[in-house]
Amino acid sequence: MTPEIVLEAQGLHKVFGSYQAVRDVSLRVTKGQIFGLLGPNGAGKTTTLRMLLGIIEPDKGERRLLGQADTRRVTARIGYLPEERGLYPGMRARDAIAFMGALRGLPWAEGRRRADERLPLVGLADAAGQKIRRLSKGMAQLVQLVGALVHDPELIFLDEPFSGLDPVNQQRLEELILAQRAAGATIILSTHVMGHAERLCDEIAIIAGGERQFMGSVADARAKLPLRVRYRPRNGAAADLAAILPADAAEHGGEWRFALADNGVEPLLAALVAGHFGVEGLAIDRPSLHDAFVHIVGSMGDGRTVEEVE
Amino acid sequence: MSGWRALWVVARRDFVAIVFTPTFLLFLLAPLFMVALGLVGGGSASIMAANADASEKLVAMVPETEVAAFRAADARLRAIARVPTLSIVGQSGTPAPDDFARYAGDANVRAIMVGSASTPQISERQPGSGRYLAALAETVAREGLASAGRAPVSHPTIAPLSGARGGSRAGKSAIGYGAVFGLFLLTLLLGGQTVGMLAEEKGNKVIEILAAAAPLRSIFLGKLFGMLAVALLFIAFWLSLLTLGSLALSAGGVGGVGGGAGGGGGGGAALAELATGPAVGWPIFLMLVLAYFIAAFLLLGAVFLGVGAQASTVREIQMLSLPITLFQVGMFSLSSAAANLPGSKLAMVAEILPWSSPFAMAARAANDAAIWPHILALGWQALWVLLTIRVSEKFFRIGVLKSGGGSLRWPWRRTQS
Repeated sequence: MTPEIVLEAQGLHKVFGSYQAVRDVSLRVTKGQIFGLLGPNGAGKTTTLRMLLGIIEPDKGERRLLGQADTRRVTARIGYLPEERGLYPGMRARDAIAFMGALRGLPWAEGRRRADERLPLVGLADAAGQKIRRLSKGMAQLVQLVGALVHDPELIFLDEPFSGLDPVNQQRLEELILAQRAAGATIILSTHVMGHAERLCDEIAIIAGGERQFMGSVADARAKLPLRVRYRPRNGAAADLAAILPADAAEHGGEWRFALADNGVEPLLAALVAGHFGVEGLAIDRPSLHDAFVHIVGSMGDGRTVEEVE
Repeated sequence: MSGWRALWVVARRDFVAIVFTPTFLLFLLAPLFMVALGLVGGGSASIMAANADASEKLVAMVPETEVAAFRAADARLRAIARVPTLSIVGQSGTPAPDDFARYAGDANVRAIMVGSASTPQISERQPGSGRYLAALAETVAREGLASAGRAPVSHPTIAPLSGARGGSRAGKSAIGYGAVFGLFLLTLLLGGQTVGMLAEEKGNKVIEILAAAAPLRSIFLGKLFGMLAVALLFIAFWLSLLTLGSLALSAGGVGGVGGGAGGGGGGGAALAELATGPAVGWPIFLMLVLAYFIAAFLLLGAVFLGVGAQASTVREIQMLSLPITLFQVGMFSLSSAAANLPGSKLAMVAEILPWSSPFAMAARAANDAAIWPHILALGWQALWVLLTIRVSEKFFRIGVLKSGGGSLRWPWRRTQS
């Protein structure tokens, strides 16, 4: 059975003045996935999300959400937590959540009921009646997250959802995201923190310099880099070892590091034994998503944020 | 989610956020502060004027035998003219030079009369300041001759004048000018509030939430209509208060606007003019004024909202709203002139120009009984409201989302995403 496509974008372009924020970005997300949109600051992630959501129109390209080219037709089925958090300070948490639900078509009363029901799930049982201005930044952020999900959306966009949260709440948010997926929702997660993406995402797209550099599974991204070997000899001179080890081998405090050759570790081990270098330690590491990200992104981007450019 | 529903959600949020706050009470009562300041200012001016009048004096040094006649004549003439206090000094013979010098040395004495009513000698401080004394002497002299049967004196019978139809032109003009002024004040006070309505959303980034969930047009219109609802609540509050006040005054025996105001003093005359009513009659006039207020509010509010969206700080908002306010004052001046010259070319220009049309047409309703020009004008203004909203919405989009482009679409056309 062909998986249902819930998000499809083809050749999105966006220019702000003379700055090309996004160039020819294409994406494809299937139902039930947690899809990571990764990239350094100013890479074009938020601009891409804003185009997907219909907040801004792309200069070129097409997008389709939940089968609709007119994204306004499906706003009631979409949830969105923007990067820049926004709540009315004078509103009570319960009303703020109900308001966000009402914007997505949920009746006010039902929004209030769900707010009372769900705030305790994120540890904010006592916050429902409090005004936003009285809540801490982290608490307000959780209120906004509950608001973004109050109408039980099928497609959820989370733009840098972990920023500003303490480790406990970050863990709580990860669990919440997984619970949403378990309930059948599809999640688009924009982040530049690789740890979260590595733990949560089924597929990722890496954007840098406004262009999509990679799209595939986390495993595919890691596979862009060879396995790394860490070897600590028992004895022998460094100069002699360098002659045996691969050309990219480098020593760090008595430990040699290099990429694993295509023919495996066995020929090398045989050579080391024959040369009487011995083996005090040997490890083969899989590259992390962070390594893959750094490898793929390289020196893309000029360090400016989109907001600065805009 | 439909655009209308989003509009309702945004309007409701804004209405509740504005109305259910202590600051709204201050806003609602703001006119009281204006009235109080006006009363304090007016009262002070009256007291100063009264003090100035009280300090000025006229002196009549007349024969003892004419003192009573001068007092009686002064009492009658004083009722129709505002004149300084008169000191009537009886003299048994020729006034002593010292007495005259004493009065002449008083800087508050404006004029001195010496002698009988038939041959008065008047000395005045400024040209004309002794005219009242001359008229007084002439009245006393005529009445003296009349009592001796040597000159005729008129004895008028005074009765109230009634039966006029349609009210005077001056009264209608006054009503027209009042409508223009009232509309201008209300639109400036209430329409101007929309200029800062987006500052909060831009400041706390709520705009991103709104823009992701609802069409920008719905957000724009929601904010505009939310503030319009606040404005109508404000007007309803004050209209109710004025109606209750008017009823209370009527019950207390003081002639109200709609009641049969009599002749008498100047206030009574003004009420009588109002009672004659505008040309189209009070009920239609009030309905038209409300419709014109809504048109003026939407025209001005849309511009303020669009311009306000460009600003991020209070200072920027003030800078941006100043030119619009000045433009609005210009439209008010034009409409005021039109109210005073009904049927003139100037009035026609003011009635056609979309920004002055609501004010000028309200004035026309006071002066002209024809209804069809109002139907035409309301249609014309509705067209401009749509156009203004569309253009302002474009600025709003650029200002809020830093995203413009695309062709200008008519409000009734569906946005293609």
